[in-house]
Amino acid sequence: MTDATFPQVRIVPLRLLKPVTAESLLNKLAGITGVRRILVRGPGLPEDVPYGPARGNPNPHHDRRTINVGDTEIALRVQVGEVILEVEDDSAITEIRSICDNFFVNYPYQILMGRFMKTDPTLVDYARYGPDADPDLIGLADPRSRDGPVIIRTE
Amino acid sequence: MEYKPQYGPGTSIVAENRRKQMNPDYKLERVRSVTDEDVVLILGHRAPGSAYPSAHPPLAEQQEPDCPMRRLVKPTEGAKAGDRVRYIQFTDSMFNAPSQPYQRTYTECYRFRGIDPGTLSGRQIVECRERDLEKYAKELVETELLDPARTGIRGATVHGHSLRLAENGMMFDMLQRSVLGEDGVVRYVKNQIGEPLDRPVVLGKPMDENWLKEHTTIFHSLVGTPYRDDREYIEYIQRIHSLRTKYGFMPKEE
Repeated sequence: MTDATFPQVRIVPLRLLKPVTAESLLNKLAGITGVRRILVRGPGLPEDVPYGPARGNPNPHHDRRTINVGDTEIALRVQVGEVILEVEDDSAITEIRSICDNFFVNYPYQILMGRFMKTDPTLVDYARYGPDADPDLIGLADPRSRDGPVIIRTE
Repeated sequence: MEYKPQYGPGTSIVAENRRKQMNPDYKLERVRSVTDEDVVLILGHRAPGSAYPSAHPPLAEQQEPDCPMRRLVKPTEGAKAGDRVRYIQFTDSMFNAPSQPYQRTYTECYRFRGIDPGTLSGRQIVECRERDLEKYAKELVETELLDPARTGIRGATVHGHSLRLAENGMMFDMLQRSVLGEDGVVRYVKNQIGEPLDRPVVLGKPMDENWLKEHTTIFHSLVGTPYRDDREYIEYIQRIHSLRTKYGFMPKEE
């Protein structure tokens, strides 16, 4: 289980972010000292049409592309709607708040504090990762997909 | 005394817009123009220029039974020709889209013949004979009932009406059927079920915020007209709510 003592914040902008904006924001956030985990959420952009008469056809979408955060490539599979961060202590939250204040100038945003990441493995997590799963990885990736979490190294 | 429909209660601009859209005597403002071929492409039911496939022989070639209802109700062009029944489906963003599912159904029932609308919380589908559909669809697309950014023509995977807008003001669409170009013009690059089109269909520039606020039929306390500001509407809804709650007890008005 995740250590419940680490504070978490959720950044919710009033608009869904384009990949370029998300890339820029994530690079700023990943550079903060004390950020342990970042979770990017939003409505999904599947590679194939999932249902309807055109089911199975390829689904080209401008917003499903690869972005670079730190030294790592991340294949976006969602349109970024919110960013959840787990940080070491409250000093990082102050920095996150100041970065967001300067970043979101064209539309407002909210920062919420609380518990936003999964704390216990679910049945699907258990089926995917087994009984000895790394608690830090639980909830960071969809257990039903083949993709795992991405590790970002920043200077 | 001649009956005059009131269409709906309310004193706000939203209520007024609702009445305008429903009233068949009001001519809907035409804000863009698309060709018949554009409509056929977006609908995706047949190739442009091809003949209408039929579900049954034309009525003129059939032996119609002698029926008083058939004498009373004249068939539409599509029904006369024996066209297939096809559909168009719309998704309207809650952020001041010009129309919304219930409103669309009311509007279509007042204005069109031979239709079968289906109303859901986030989408509205209307089915009818194919050549009637193309005529109706053209009107629905060209008039003030549609905004290229806040309204989606989506046959399937409609998700997006209640989501936040994208940075460029477009409603979320998982299949990205319409794209806002750098020139500010919205183009449909896929038909309503998400199959790529041979050529993009231009729907024009999205309407500005003020126009949307003036033409919307959705109450929204944050970005538009709050529902609670329209006292007459609230009074009407409370009366309906009260009466339907008491219905089982044989209500009598005081």
